[in-house]
Amino acid sequence: MTLYAFYFLSFVAIFSALLVVFSKNPVYSVLYLIITFFAIAGHYILLNAQFLAVVHVIVYAGAIMVLFLYVIMLLNLNEESEPHKNTMVKIAAVFSSGLLLLVLIGSLRGASQLVHKTGGEIGLVQNLGQVLFGEFLFPFEVASILLLAAMVGVVMVGKDEEKNAND
Amino acid sequence: MNALFVICGIGVFSLLAEVFNWKKWVTLISFIGICVAIGVLLLDWRSVSYYYHGMLFFDRFAMAFTGLILVISVFWYWMSVDFFKGVAHRTDKSALVFFVIAGAIMMVSFNNMAVLFLGIEILSISLYVLAGSDKENLFSTEASFKYFLMGSFATGFLLFGITLVYGATGSFNIVSIADVISSSKDLPRFVYIGVLLIMVGLAFKISAVPFHLWAPDVYQGAPTPITALMSTVVKIGAFAAFVKIFSVSFIRFSFSLLLFEQGLMVLTLVIANVTAVFQSNLKRMLAYSSVAQVGYLLLAFSSDNAHSSGTIFYYLTAYALASILAFTVVQIIENAKGSANISHFQGLLKGSPLMAIAMTIAMLSLAGIPPLAGFFGKYLVFTLSVSKGFVGLTAVAVITSLIGVYYYFKPIVVMCQSEGQPISISNSQKALLIILIFLNLLIGIFPDLIRIV
Repeated sequence: MTLYAFYFLSFVAIFSALLVVFSKNPVYSVLYLIITFFAIAGHYILLNAQFLAVVHVIVYAGAIMVLFLYVIMLLNLNEESEPHKNTMVKIAAVFSSGLLLLVLIGSLRGASQLVHKTGGEIGLVQNLGQVLFGEFLFPFEVASILLLAAMVGVVMVGKDEEKNAND
Repeated sequence: MNALFVICGIGVFSLLAEVFNWKKWVTLISFIGICVAIGVLLLDWRSVSYYYHGMLFFDRFAMAFTGLILVISVFWYWMSVDFFKGVAHRTDKSALVFFVIAGAIMMVSFNNMAVLFLGIEILSISLYVLAGSDKENLFSTEASFKYFLMGSFATGFLLFGITLVYGATGSFNIVSIADVISSSKDLPRFVYIGVLLIMVGLAFKISAVPFHLWAPDVYQGAPTPITALMSTVVKIGAFAAFVKIFSVSFIRFSFSLLLFEQGLMVLTLVIANVTAVFQSNLKRMLAYSSVAQVGYLLLAFSSDNAHSSGTIFYYLTAYALASILAFTVVQIIENAKGSANISHFQGLLKGSPLMAIAMTIAMLSLAGIPPLAGFFGKYLVFTLSVSKGFVGLTAVAVITSLIGVYYYFKPIVVMCQSEGQPISISNSQKALLIILIFLNLLIGIFPDLIRIV
């Protein structure tokens, strides 16, 4: 049962990922990308990593895709406006990304040697919370500085200068 | 350890100052705050220990580099007081600068990949915004965007590398990673890819050739104080992180990685030094010069992965002091004349001799002329690499540093030409220039003062 689910999800993920690349209309690409994300979330559930699956759906299929759609909408991308790319550039891109794929496949053939961490329960929310507030407390708290810096940055970039300039 | 909290605290204070209208205190408090952080660091000097489940490790290495970052920050703050005066968003800028410093401290004291990643990200995200903080200027915006795209790309490589290393070793702790790597007989092949990807990610951050393409545009486009910050504090943090991770975690691969480190080094030295010759803008020339200095640091590191940190510390100190001095003068000239073209330095010696002397000292130190600090930096690097038998590579480095002498002398020659208008500088800037000249000479004449790592 799990095996069939795995094959089905893998097929959906790869097929829709290919459609993302091959469809001419950027909006269709984005929609296929959402399907890919859901298929990958399914994989996470098969791996007993519920938290990751939920976060993946919320963050990627939710927030990031909205961002993508906004950009596509604002730039008004469509079939006609897609810039025509040079054949040489296309060949070079295919060649170099093919090389990267080859290297990754070659090195990941040793994936059976992956270190096995304790049990299959590690992806559950409870265990994750315990690790996050125990061993990883410092990085967890320091992430707040990162988010603060990002927020301040957004305000600085976005806010009008005139209002502030006279003080 | 506590120094990190003090720095983060000042950052948050700067943000609150906007709310409570304490803006006029921000500069003073920031200045005092960095000095307090240095004091706290000195109190902690003898207590070498791990903190928070081995997330941070403050040993001599981390404390020395934290001290260097903080001392350079004091001078940086002094030099760029004008950057925070009278312009919009000054509290925000101040807070972001402190987050940059906090990120750099995390990058020198991490003991866990998660902290390394967070440190790099805190530093980078603050810098992306600061590089574009001159919103009226199109080049500043371009610099910010370019830096953002390149930086996020580099982060992607770094994260991928960390993931693969985790898959092979089952740990984020850099000491445990080293243990697993040295004890296991057959490591999975992807750990090598992981190590290389980490190296690529960090090479972006230290701007080693061929990953330096962002550096000249970003250094030239960003406001001058931010350029100074990037070429001193950020470079110290990034290179210390590079040294730490490859001398602790991947020390067993040092022989296999030698080829990559040397390749990066030779490319960096040759390409950066040769390109710098053709620059007419001093900021852009200093950008290429800061890329070139990474080459000498890489020569020291690749010669002896485990025992080169003392040399690297000395070299970075000498380089950072000279850079801050050069950027102080560049900033004054740029404010007076509108841009940092080398031709604007014409007649500086007659017009304002102090600035001309300061610039000359900075350039001579960067070029490596005795008795300045830069000379002993290069001397230590070359003796280290020759003693390990890398005579050919040292010869390449010596030849490229001779090319360096040519372009460092260009502004000096221009300054000595014809008559020039005097440029007025404030007393605080004069004091800063004199202190920095003194320090450059002091560390050059008594190099043993800071050989503490």
